Amino acid sequence: MDRTPPPPGKDWRDAAGILHIDVRGLGPPLPMVAILARLEQWTESGPIIVHHEREPIYLYPELASRGWVHCRIPGEPGEVRLKLTRHAP
Amino acid sequence: MIAPLPILGGANERLLPASVPFRFFAAAAGFQVLAWAMLFWGAPDLPGFAGGTGPVLAALHLLTLGVLVSAAMGAAYQLLPVATRSPIRHVSLAKASFWLLLLGVGLLTLGMAGSDARLIWPGAVLVALALALFAGLTAQNLWRAHGLPMVVAHGWTALVALVLVVLLALLLIVDEQTGFWPDHAGLARLHMVMAVFGFMGILLAGFSLILVPMFALSSGSAPMLGRGQLGLGGLALVLATAAAFWQRPGLWPLASALGAAAAAVYLWHMRLILQGAMRRRLGLSFVMIRAAWAMLALSLVLGVGLSFGLEFPGGAALFGVLVLPGWLLTFLGGVLQRIVPFLASMHVQAVSGAPALLSDLTPSRPLLVYAVGHFSALALLGSGVIFSNTLLVRVGALAGFLGALAFVLFLSLVLSKLPRRG
Repeated sequence: MDRTPPPPGKDWRDAAGILHIDVRGLGPPLPMVAILARLEQWTESGPIIVHHEREPIYLYPELASRGWVHCRIPGEPGEVRLKLTRHAP
Repeated sequence: MIAPLPILGGANERLLPASVPFRFFAAAAGFQVLAWAMLFWGAPDLPGFAGGTGPVLAALHLLTLGVLVSAAMGAAYQLLPVATRSPIRHVSLAKASFWLLLLGVGLLTLGMAGSDARLIWPGAVLVALALALFAGLTAQNLWRAHGLPMVVAHGWTALVALVLVVLLALLLIVDEQTGFWPDHAGLARLHMVMAVFGFMGILLAGFSLILVPMFALSSGSAPMLGRGQLGLGGLALVLATAAAFWQRPGLWPLASALGAAAAAVYLWHMRLILQGAMRRRLGLSFVMIRAAWAMLALSLVLGVGLSFGLEFPGGAALFGVLVLPGWLLTFLGGVLQRIVPFLASMHVQAVSGAPALLSDLTPSRPLLVYAVGHFSALALLGSGVIFSNTLLVRVGALAGFLGALAFVLFLSLVLSKLPRRG
């Protein structure tokens, strides 16, 4: 039996079917755990949008080592919004 | 496409120039080599060591101040601002604290090795100034911290312990020359307890609340256990202080039992965090971290036994081996081999726009040699102390020395991949 708890943070899909992960309000290192947990289960090819409240500098090396790239996109005031996509092989 | 440098925005303010944390890590790696070399020289004195100047005391301080404190300062300067979202405002003071520490540890340990007060005094003053700068900068950062109350509480407690460690060290040096304090051994014991368990132990427990879940990708942290480990640990330190200052030796067993309880809560907490980990293969770094935790548990069983008057071959010297190179240095070795490539990757990104792969920044062979050398050293030192055998201690110090050289090679290889900036 899998005793691993569900990843922290919230997630939903928008009208276009894109997955959003909201980790605002979580203290370190939970945002990183929340994002990477979902990335590991992500089998689709589309991008993922992350809603963060700070620049997740510790996340970037982990993303790179999993073959993901990130870019900052416009978000709400005080929000750091990132678009994550798989690195093209 | 990966966004370029400007996206780091506010985070870049919290990412210090690479030269700041890495100079502390480089010093720690260098002092680790020197500490083992000094112990090789002082090997005959280790099995019966019970304090006093000489090469063993010098090796002890090369390890504590040179390796552990140096690495803790570098890590705190870089990790705390990111965790607390409050940048270090005076980077020049952080750099100044490095040079004061470097020079101070050099003079202090040379003086201790040669029992020369003309070197001990200026060395101690320089180290005290370095630690005062560190305490001031860290206090400023903790004061402005947003969130992470348990990490911040551990940070404040560690800083209070650090101030006491420095004051006790200066008292010990004065007492060594004047003999004004009636119980020098009790004062020395409190200095050791406050440095190892108060400052380093509580700082390490606080960092563990961020680093262990981050490395293992776990959300299993339990705030109540965090409060428990800090509360019990703080109470143990208060009792130890009372035992030494009011000369109530009867309080030492109670203090050590409470300290052991604090460590038990901490270890249980770490177990829970690892149970909830997404990352199951944690590599060599966690072999070292888990071994460090095992040696913490062993040291506390021995420490409590000794404080209740039980006798064990090697006694206090074995306790010292288990606690310093066993628990703290092993833990640091495990953590540094994760942090160093991580920070290097972030600095590569800050300059090139793309983070380097962690696997490209983690040369594994030097780390394997380091682990083999380190664990061999621990086994030989422990045996040497138990059997009062100088040869075993000396071979152990040699193994540790070779392992430490491999760690220097690891760090040099990572540093060679850093962009030239800062």
